[in-house]
Amino acid sequence: MLIKLTGGRVYDPAHQIDGKVMDIYVRDGRIVERPSDAEPIDQEYDLRGKVVMSGAIDMHTHIGGGKVNIARLMLPEDHRAHPSQHTDACRSGCGHAAPSTLTTGYRYAEMGYTAGFEPALSPVNARQSHLEMCDTPIIDKGGYAMIGSDDYFLRMLAAKKDQNAINDYVAWILHATQAIGIKVVNPGGINAFKFNQRALNLDEENVHYQVTPREVLQSLTRAVYELGIAHPLHVHGNNLGVPGNVETTLKTMGAVEGYPVHLTHIQFHSYGTEGDRKFSSGAAAIAEALNKHKNVSADVGQILFGQTVTASGDNMRQYANSGHGSPRKSVLMDIECDSGCGVVPFKYKDQNFVNALQWAIGLEIFLLSEDPWRIFLTTDHPNGAPFTSYPHLIRLLMDKSFRNDMFTKLNLDAQAMSTLNSIEREYSLYEIAIMTRAGAAKLVGLHDRGHLGVGAGADITVYTDNPDREAMFAKPDYVFKDGQLVVRNGEVVKVTWGSTHTVKPDFDKAIEKDLKQYFDRYHTMNMENFKVNAAELEEDGRGNVIVQECKGRREKTA
Amino acid sequence: MSALTFTLKAPLQQRVDVSPLTPDQLADKSVAEIAAITLVSGRQQLRVDQVFDISGDDANDIIFAQASRKLDYIGQKMNGGRITINGGAGSYLGLQMRKGEIVLNGDADAFAASGMAGGTLHINGSVGDFLAAALPGDRKGMKGGVVIITGNAGERAGDQMRRGIILIEGNVGAYCASRMLAGTIGVLGTVGDYLGYGMRRGTLLLTQEPKLHATLQDCGTHTLPFLSLMFKSFANFPSKFASLKQNRVQRYAGDIANDGKGEILVLK
Repeated sequence: MLIKLTGGRVYDPAHQIDGKVMDIYVRDGRIVERPSDAEPIDQEYDLRGKVVMSGAIDMHTHIGGGKVNIARLMLPEDHRAHPSQHTDACRSGCGHAAPSTLTTGYRYAEMGYTAGFEPALSPVNARQSHLEMCDTPIIDKGGYAMIGSDDYFLRMLAAKKDQNAINDYVAWILHATQAIGIKVVNPGGINAFKFNQRALNLDEENVHYQVTPREVLQSLTRAVYELGIAHPLHVHGNNLGVPGNVETTLKTMGAVEGYPVHLTHIQFHSYGTEGDRKFSSGAAAIAEALNKHKNVSADVGQILFGQTVTASGDNMRQYANSGHGSPRKSVLMDIECDSGCGVVPFKYKDQNFVNALQWAIGLEIFLLSEDPWRIFLTTDHPNGAPFTSYPHLIRLLMDKSFRNDMFTKLNLDAQAMSTLNSIEREYSLYEIAIMTRAGAAKLVGLHDRGHLGVGAGADITVYTDNPDREAMFAKPDYVFKDGQLVVRNGEVVKVTWGSTHTVKPDFDKAIEKDLKQYFDRYHTMNMENFKVNAAELEEDGRGNVIVQECKGRREKTA
Repeated sequence: MSALTFTLKAPLQQRVDVSPLTPDQLADKSVAEIAAITLVSGRQQLRVDQVFDISGDDANDIIFAQASRKLDYIGQKMNGGRITINGGAGSYLGLQMRKGEIVLNGDADAFAASGMAGGTLHINGSVGDFLAAALPGDRKGMKGGVVIITGNAGERAGDQMRRGIILIEGNVGAYCASRMLAGTIGVLGTVGDYLGYGMRRGTLLLTQEPKLHATLQDCGTHTLPFLSLMFKSFANFPSKFASLKQNRVQRYAGDIANDGKGEILVLK
């Protein structure tokens, strides 16, 4: 089947194509070279005047796993208030802040997104997370395995094990959990919470293991780099949401000693202590440091006003925030002694000083960061806002007058503390395409996604150019997933089941000998059962595991 | 003007959600517009005139005639006006109602007055379980208003109730006032087991000696002057409670397993 997409205005930053009118050919789910004139075109779409980009990629969105399910369980009101009816193509579903798996897939596809990555895949919960994501239709998915507070790793650090051994363990985790990256949440802090520590700074020791967050970060950034995984260590830093944490974040950038690192939802880590209320924007300092440290990338974790739910592995910070829950309920739990979980519903209000300033801080970071290849568009769904608000966020970035109109409606004290309305920058379509496509694919390590070059998977989104960017990005004309038309005029017309992206670096299998002893002695399950097999994801015919290329093991660096 | 009347055309096979048919939502709508509103019934969508014969024109005074217990969500989020139901009502009668009056001549199913915040709900009949209780996952049940029931109520009446008055002339099932946060429940008939289970605050007014579980404590016999004031406030209600007079009670406190500031007053 040969499809021709004729005459669209193409934005493909991976190939430096900025609004060039060109034709794209798709055969069997892949983008192909222009065929010979003799070959008949099976189907042609006239895209003259339309904007064409590859399918968008959300590189940090909580769409599967234990805490998402707890959020669903805890928020029946979210489901009651947002039912979605079945259509000819789709099944019914529900939810806004914590939507059902089916609804998640449909809503993402309807906005032109074709991939989403679950950033907090607890290894012991990996099976559940993957099976849930396999039930999320249309989009591709993957997960970042969350380690750094697990007992086995902390024991290794405490015993001053050789970096090679740590690399082997990290690689083993990637294999065992079918993940594409490694995440660390509140390095060492989730564990320290269990030893009654209620805060942990970068150089503060865990009272049980005598290990500091700095050591955790150093060993893991190094491990990820040396294993040759494309996605740098995904870091949710210490002191999330604490006024003055901008210092911690700046120190964290320095702590990794030049190794690549990705700081996630950095908005929540960019707070100063100036002003009468001892809460201020650290956005300028963060953006300056981001501009300077080329090894550091970040996603913003923008907040947008309204009801949502915060779901995080960071039980230490979620415990501290649980009193602010709205509606007032929360779940805080340990997960098999190896990680944590905190779910607190939250309502962001534009007349609340702190919330209004958080909103402004996020946008300041977006607008002051110079390199769109290293800053990513997220709301940390659902923590800052549900992903369905992305079109609104894109408009805020692309339309200064709209942004300033919104700014003037905020809490007045917060307005006085922000420089947002003096920032002139407006994002271009090309820059949005970098942030949400080319940059995200490069960061996560999806070699055949996020671009429209020959050989790429035919994940393509077509928009009608509209000065109202919110309307434009909310309702694409066409979305193709692997060459199949899945969305027409913002409505799902065909349901497909996407793939799971993974990475499988080489490692020394001898580590399993020690791991097996550890599992037999301490763990809640057998080591062989802990490992998730690719076949489990594929057996119902919906899933498909793709192993993305690894750069190969690098030599020991020190 | 005559009352806007919805007469059920035929007995229903499937439950119908009639939450769009409240005085505030129908104000200023023509009969043709009302007839075209869609109602959800299972996986079907029905026009109002497929389900009901419509007569009358005063949307502020709605009557459901020959109503059945398959009509759910009557008066949901209602913000004024009056709804009269002759026959019976399904579940979620007066859900999250804020103002106005609902009179039901017949029986209702579960979750009547759940999340109700104001207005009055008068049921000349009996109700199912979870009267004025919180919906699953919600933290509060009824938050205000008055509910008068001439018949019986099922289990979990007043679960997590936060404010308001419920007056039940008949009997109630088990777990009445469980996890109650505040408010008043009066029962003239008998009460089931585990009365006030996990009750935090609030007042239960009984006329018959209940069976109490272990964490409710007897506080002796008292003459409470405030009861005279409360009974005075009941005086205009169309209910047997209007004729209560005496203020000598046996007082029990509880549930001491959960704060224990609730009280159970049994009229002597």
